Amino acid sequence: MSTLTLRGVRKSFGLLEVLHNVDLELEDGGFLVLLGPSGCGKSTLLSIIAGLEPASGGDVLIGERVVNDVHPKDRNIAMVFQSYALYPTMTVERNMGFGLEMRGVPTAERDGKVLDAARLLQVEHLLARKPGQLSGGQRQRVAMGRAIVRDPELFLFDEPLSNLDAKLRVEMRTEIKRLHDRLGTTVVYVTHDQVEAMTLGTRVAVMREGVIQQLADPQTIYDRPANMFVAGFIGSPAMNFISGVLEAGPGGPAFVYEAGRLRLSLPEPAMPRGVAMGRPVILGTRPEHLTLGSGSAARLSGTIDVVEPTGPDTMVVAMIGGQPVTARLPPRVALRPGEPVELAVDTSALNFFDPESGERL
Amino acid sequence: MSRTFLPAPYGPPRTVWDRINPVRLIGELSETRYWMYLLLLPSALLITAVVLYPTLYGMQMSFREMRLNRPDLGTGFVGLRHYERMLSDPVFWVSLRNTAVWVTFSIVIEFVVGLIAALALNRNLPGTKVLAVLILLPYFLPNVVAGHMWALMLDPRLGVINDLLVRIGLLEGYKAWFADPGTAMAAAIVVEAWHSFPFFTLLLLAGLKGIPTDLYKAADIDGAGPFAQLRLITLPMLRTIIAAAVILRVIGLVNSPDLLLILTSGGPGRSTQVLSLYAFQTAYRDFNFGYAGALSVVMFVFLMVFAWAYIRITKVNQE
Ligand SMILES: Nc1ncnc2c1ncn2[C@@H]1O[C@H](COP(=O)(O)OP(=O)(O)OP(=O)(O)O)[C@@H](O)[C@H]1O
Ligand SMILES: [Mg+2]
Repeated sequence: MSTLTLRGVRKSFGLLEVLHNVDLELEDGGFLVLLGPSGCGKSTLLSIIAGLEPASGGDVLIGERVVNDVHPKDRNIAMVFQSYALYPTMTVERNMGFGLEMRGVPTAERDGKVLDAARLLQVEHLLARKPGQLSGGQRQRVAMGRAIVRDPELFLFDEPLSNLDAKLRVEMRTEIKRLHDRLGTTVVYVTHDQVEAMTLGTRVAVMREGVIQQLADPQTIYDRPANMFVAGFIGSPAMNFISGVLEAGPGGPAFVYEAGRLRLSLPEPAMPRGVAMGRPVILGTRPEHLTLGSGSAARLSGTIDVVEPTGPDTMVVAMIGGQPVTARLPPRVALRPGEPVELAVDTSALNFFDPESGERL
Repeated sequence: MSRTFLPAPYGPPRTVWDRINPVRLIGELSETRYWMYLLLLPSALLITAVVLYPTLYGMQMSFREMRLNRPDLGTGFVGLRHYERMLSDPVFWVSLRNTAVWVTFSIVIEFVVGLIAALALNRNLPGTKVLAVLILLPYFLPNVVAGHMWALMLDPRLGVINDLLVRIGLLEGYKAWFADPGTAMAAAIVVEAWHSFPFFTLLLLAGLKGIPTDLYKAADIDGAGPFAQLRLITLPMLRTIIAAAVILRVIGLVNSPDLLLILTSGGPGRSTQVLSLYAFQTAYRDFNFGYAGALSVVMFVFLMVFAWAYIRITKVNQE
């Protein structure tokens, strides 16, 4: 059973259309991450799901019910805001129980649920405080507690971690994952952080300018990005793109680049299917699929530009075919800028894109 | 000490010129802890000259005889005589009661109307910018102009309001609003409220703009209706601004006799006589500055007590 279904959802602000025909489905207990750059319409989409903004067209279904004209309070959802939106004049306890209070739940029952949620999130000792007396991380927990207390059908999170410092963000990310595993709730989670998307999501929708570019599980998004936008947005450092031409040479098919002067021999299975020879393509390869080595048949040759040790890995940027290509190499490689380098390519993990449309071939 | 590291003017004096060089002396003074008080001195003097001295002068006047039309009585010190007289002065007690009515009703109406207007203007619907200017217009009118305008509109023979009320059947015949002790105060309060509610609108609107919209979204999802949102979010978050606005407005209402002076001069009878008007008339009609001073001091004390109690009760200073 799916908990959330969107059919052809559109949204315009005046003449500006910020969401174009969004379709998606989320199964019960699923964790959907809406991922995309700033301004792509993630928050708007979440507001439409919550009922805080009316859609300009299309249907929103929660469970089996079309909720287009249902008030937010009757949609059986809870939302965690980027700003947390805790009521500053109420105690943490009242904040957490406010949804139940407004629904006329008796005090004793309410207190019990608030206490349970507070225990779960380890904010029990803060119940008597006002939000102004909490740290950012504590506010974040309280905001999640407020959502949990309601026990809704659907949780909506709008960039809940973006106001936390890096360390706390990682901690809370794990915490959210644990909570989701434990409570089994259905979640829609907005973020522009690809690591959050990869770690938390069971499904990831990558958005750009109001259009869902790809909707899939995180591994598929990473391994088989639907287009160059998705390929470039996910992964850090980003996927390398090299433009060239596919040719059927004497020694088998090859990717020819740098104006035909260099070639990368490709085994038959690595070739994109149904693509004519002689066609210009963009080859995409992730930094971890490049290794040092001249033994392999499939390799790229260039000159080293920058060497960036990060600790566990060393990022090496080489100029190949006039384009910077980053390789994730083991630490302590003895390479110096200006030296020539041969990078062996893992041909089982290649991506090819159409230079015109950017779509995957 | 670190002094030895300081550049030339601050090092130990070496020559006679060093001991009398004014630049050097100021430089040395600026290193001491008295420098702070010296810097505050000009503004302290200014405040003393324009605020403290007149206030204290007015206060000491209330302990003196000072009747401009009876120079023979002199300006001697009379202790608490004016205050004793006040206790048995029926006009004082009537004025006190009228002041309470005048201030309470005006404040309540101005606050409620001002809040409604602010909430409406905060909705950012098309046309609210123009509406905002229209709503604020009354406040831009000087009290004198507003008073005369309303006196004319409520005029028993020429007044447009009488005419309208008769036409729509609410009134039998033209009514002299300010000549009837039963309606004079109410009519004056309406005029005052009309004139000053934009003061609340302006301040409350500024406060409303500062409330994050996410709070209302969260409240929508939590199931709080518009009234619950007003009571549990908007008003608590405006608390400080409301307190400041009320105190400022109460001070204005208690201290300014101008509108009532124009509309009724305290009449008919003493039905709209308030303390500020009574003090004003005592000073500038009866030329009894001593007694007027005493009345002003009483008003001053009332305002101090009010502001103190109000801040205590609303707990605005405890955030
Ligand atoms: N009330 C509004 N009126 C007009 N345009 C709006 C309004 N709200 C959002 N937009 C526009 O809609 C687009 C999408 O906004 P949205 O807030 O959904 O972006 P987002 O993906 O959440 O970005 P961010 O990551 O910065 O939060 C933006 O171009 C924004 O300027
Ligand atoms: Mg957003």
